[in-house]
Amino acid sequence: MDNEKLEQYKATIKKPSRKEFMAQIERLGLSYENLIEMYTTMCVIRRFERMADQLYAAGKVHGTMHLSAGQEAVAVGLGRALNLDDYFLNHHRGHGHFVAKDADMNLMMAEFLGKEAGYCKGRGGSMHIADIEANNLGANGIVGGGISLAVGVGLALQMQRKNEIVCVVFGDGAANEGIFHESLNMAALWDLPVLFVCENNQYGMSMQVERATAKLPIAQRAEGYGMRWHHIDGNDVLLVYETMQDVIEHVRSGKGPALVETETYRYFGHSKSDRNLYRTKDEIDEWKEIDPINRFKNLLVDANILTEESAQGIEQDAQKQIDEAVAFAESSPEPDVETLTEFVYA
Amino acid sequence: MPIPFIMPKFDMDQENATVVEWLKDEGEYIELDEAVLTVETDKVAIEVPAPATGKLVKLSAAPGDVVPVTTVIAYVLEDGETEDDLPEEEVVSKVEKAQVTEEIATSEVHPPADIKIEDAQQAGTATPVAARMAQEMGIDLAAVPIAGGRLTKSDIEAYIQTTSLPDGRVKVSATPAARRLSNELGVELISVPGSGPGGRVQADDVRSFESRMAPEIPIDGREADLVPLVGIRRTIAERMQSSFQAAPHIALTVDVDMTQLEAARDRMNAIAEKRDEKRISVTALLVRIIAWVLESNPHINASLVEDTIYLWRDINIGVATAIEDGLIVPVIRKASQKSVREINNDLKNLSVKARDGSLALEEVKDGTFTLSNLGMFGIDQFRAIINPPESAILAVGKVVRKPVVINNQDEIEVRPIMSMTLSADHRVIDGVVAANFLQDLVLAIEAPDILLY
Amino acid sequence: MPEITYLEAIRTALREEMIRDERVFLFGEDIGRYGGAFGVTFGLLDEFGPERVRETPISEAAIVGAATGAALVGMRPVAELMFMDFVLLTMEQLVNQAAKVRFMFGGKGTVPMVLRMPGGSGTGAAAQHSQSLESLLIHIPGIKVVNPSTPYDAKGLLLSSIRDPNPVCFVEHKLLYKVKGEVPEEEYTIPIGAAEVKRKGKDLTVVAGNIMVPRSLAVAEKLSAEGIEVEVVDPRTLRPLDVDTISDSVRKTGRLLVVHEACQTGGWAGEVIASVSSSPAFNYLDAPMRRLAGADVPIPYNRNLEQAAVPQEEDIEREIRALVSNQY
Repeated sequence: MDNEKLEQYKATIKKPSRKEFMAQIERLGLSYENLIEMYTTMCVIRRFERMADQLYAAGKVHGTMHLSAGQEAVAVGLGRALNLDDYFLNHHRGHGHFVAKDADMNLMMAEFLGKEAGYCKGRGGSMHIADIEANNLGANGIVGGGISLAVGVGLALQMQRKNEIVCVVFGDGAANEGIFHESLNMAALWDLPVLFVCENNQYGMSMQVERATAKLPIAQRAEGYGMRWHHIDGNDVLLVYETMQDVIEHVRSGKGPALVETETYRYFGHSKSDRNLYRTKDEIDEWKEIDPINRFKNLLVDANILTEESAQGIEQDAQKQIDEAVAFAESSPEPDVETLTEFVYA
Repeated sequence: MPIPFIMPKFDMDQENATVVEWLKDEGEYIELDEAVLTVETDKVAIEVPAPATGKLVKLSAAPGDVVPVTTVIAYVLEDGETEDDLPEEEVVSKVEKAQVTEEIATSEVHPPADIKIEDAQQAGTATPVAARMAQEMGIDLAAVPIAGGRLTKSDIEAYIQTTSLPDGRVKVSATPAARRLSNELGVELISVPGSGPGGRVQADDVRSFESRMAPEIPIDGREADLVPLVGIRRTIAERMQSSFQAAPHIALTVDVDMTQLEAARDRMNAIAEKRDEKRISVTALLVRIIAWVLESNPHINASLVEDTIYLWRDINIGVATAIEDGLIVPVIRKASQKSVREINNDLKNLSVKARDGSLALEEVKDGTFTLSNLGMFGIDQFRAIINPPESAILAVGKVVRKPVVINNQDEIEVRPIMSMTLSADHRVIDGVVAANFLQDLVLAIEAPDILLY
Repeated sequence: MPEITYLEAIRTALREEMIRDERVFLFGEDIGRYGGAFGVTFGLLDEFGPERVRETPISEAAIVGAATGAALVGMRPVAELMFMDFVLLTMEQLVNQAAKVRFMFGGKGTVPMVLRMPGGSGTGAAAQHSQSLESLLIHIPGIKVVNPSTPYDAKGLLLSSIRDPNPVCFVEHKLLYKVKGEVPEEEYTIPIGAAEVKRKGKDLTVVAGNIMVPRSLAVAEKLSAEGIEVEVVDPRTLRPLDVDTISDSVRKTGRLLVVHEACQTGGWAGEVIASVSSSPAFNYLDAPMRRLAGADVPIPYNRNLEQAAVPQEEDIEREIRALVSNQY
């Protein structure tokens, strides 16, 4: 967004009053524990991404990483709205989503470092983390790569008469891939139980979404396929949670797929080689003013659900958890070269 | 057109000729068939006749020059022609793949008068010998560097050295199946003519070559006791075969009157008895005499190693000795410098060791001539196979008392006669040389006192 | 034994497996009432209903992507691409997703998916509907590539393909659809990765890909009358390639000719020849190993040019004769 648009956007964001807030959490059926847990998870994600960045800077990570710091509200709001055994497909900027789906951080870190103990035995790395048994069908390195897979999963769930749905998260750039359109058409045609989530973080790689997309918002494209759609502030974790809950029920009931676009922002560059030449520090700072974690924390503190001290304690615990994960990963053994050609065929 | 005067080829594998002298000078008028030039080849000096009548010009070879055959060395201008009519110099450049034919006359002394100019000016081609070698070996002539004007046999040999593999093999164009078969059948791939494209050796070529070599021996359904060809038997088999195949054997037989030698032996044995020394054997005497004769017949005491004949200074005579399962040849070293008594002692020691199997390597190597005696087994006469790398072997039979005509009169006496057969390697020893040796040997055996000379 | 066509053999296999395993479903364009562009799935809609014989929009990429996703969560989709040429639209989903999921995820997750596609020229369909692209596919670790040449092989291999837990590209040839052959009624399968010696011989080995098998067999029959005995090996599976059977044959005959319709450059004949060269058969070669392949040209429309672009019987015969008479 350019500055003008950003100002307009920020103007639409209202901080709810305490009364409105309490009403909301009651409506959503969220306890204080739930809220603290959500907050904690957001902190963990932020810390996790920072740690990933540090590990990379220390030369410990082979390849590159795509960090999602700034997008925690989407991850947590969505993650908490889905059921544990709902199927999930992700994009390459998916650490946050993974953590929000209760991934084991030890195994995640081990995978980053390419260790045998990692989720994918070191074969996938940051971009391809998956936990099939938990119905997490993986992060995908191809932009839009998971979208048609999700259609297939939805098709299977429908044929198997299952209660689960499948959610696929992709970015604003993916919405311009042909496969996005083929997939939305197919899902809508057959009323497949697919929740399409477009995490619009304003940039493809270096390309602003306005320069790449003929008509915004992206979510409105769903209309062309006769599909339900929403376009929301992705940095408001409770709004995300509320919207997703509603949409998921629709999808689960067999009424057809849906597309939810969440506006958010990423603080780090696209990947580790990104020098942020395409945006200004000012812009990043502007977005930090509506940082999702801070916003949520303020709400919780104002409602006396959280204190500054306990917030700090949460941060420290998060850091500790991550440090342990790093220690685990670093002391983990490398895969045996002799096993190079395993896993190609079943 | 001026007629090119080429250096003619006289022998099949002649590569060059050396110019000795021009009998006619530049500008001189010559007649067809008139002797114009003397050259020398490997064997002999030859006069080269004029190919046409006319003026001899542009002599391009000087005395002492070694000129490859079919090179143009002069021109003959016919009536009305001048030097301006001569063709331009052809720059000798690279060799093309030779379309080799052996059409250039080989056995005729006169160069064929119908050699075309183009043929004669083939400065850039290969000699027929080289071309044939190249085809047999599957070598691409274009790849062979040339030392001189034409690609010769030595160029090919030089090239082979450079493309030889370290273990001494030479590159041959052959299919993998042919190579495998040649290994299995023990056939030298280089000797197999190839029927594939470019002379490539195919598997069938190896098979038919091998079947020509070795006739099929039917063994099915027939009983036999089996003796594996191993150890000394195998060694003898391989050596005998390679000797017989490598050396063209000639055999000359002569009878010798042993009367004088036997008398000499008796006299020596009288001394030996008095001195309580070993009795002298006929073999020891023969060895001593042979050694003396070899001194004046050095080509019999020789070895052919690649392209060189070694006329050994030492005379080391081996004596073929039968042992269990085979044959071994202990050597009496420097036999011409030893007395009969010494040779006799050596022989006795060596034959004991031979039977024990305790001969040292020193005692069986460096032989230059071999004596083989089957007389004690009742054999009259036989032909032995040369013991490589020697060039001759003498096979003697038993002494038989026979009536012979003596003194070139018609008188007959009974004399002890022994038959001796010399087998010689004709690459080294010609018939006359072998005959001379045998004559000298007969003389010495029939009058052994001449060894005192 | 009953004789049915290659096409009927495929249909029968689909039908039998759909009865046997309810996870199997068909997925592709116009496979329902229309029965598939070539008629392979005709009648199956009536028997199994629109859920299991699911017609799709014209979305090849999504077809393969969705098949991958469905396979990942327990279904056994058999997707149909109308022409092999269209596999190019699906390469992302086939190569980056289906082929790699299992490996990238450290051995978890399987994609038991079959992708059927008819390829080949001879029907005047021209450049964009006549290609033989299996050489591109065999290059990808993680998928299997099968190309049967007879009705018997088609049925047995299709059953094995559906039952295989890996993504399998099942390559058919349009000109083979109407070919008849004996096919038993009882169930049988043919293992993936097993070549078959279709004809024994001692003078030369021909390794032929689908449509080239009947052509090579016809030539072999003809040459047999002259005493030239050609051994014809049908690889049946291109990835994994049964190098042992091919190598044993070449070891016996000493000569190899690989024949396929696909273009020569980068064609899978090179793979066969390189594999044989590295096998024990090398030392038994009595001639250079040769390939006879399609011209490096898009398939032309004109009938004669179309014929000339790919090996025909005369070409096969000519090459065999040249090889056995040591012209190479």
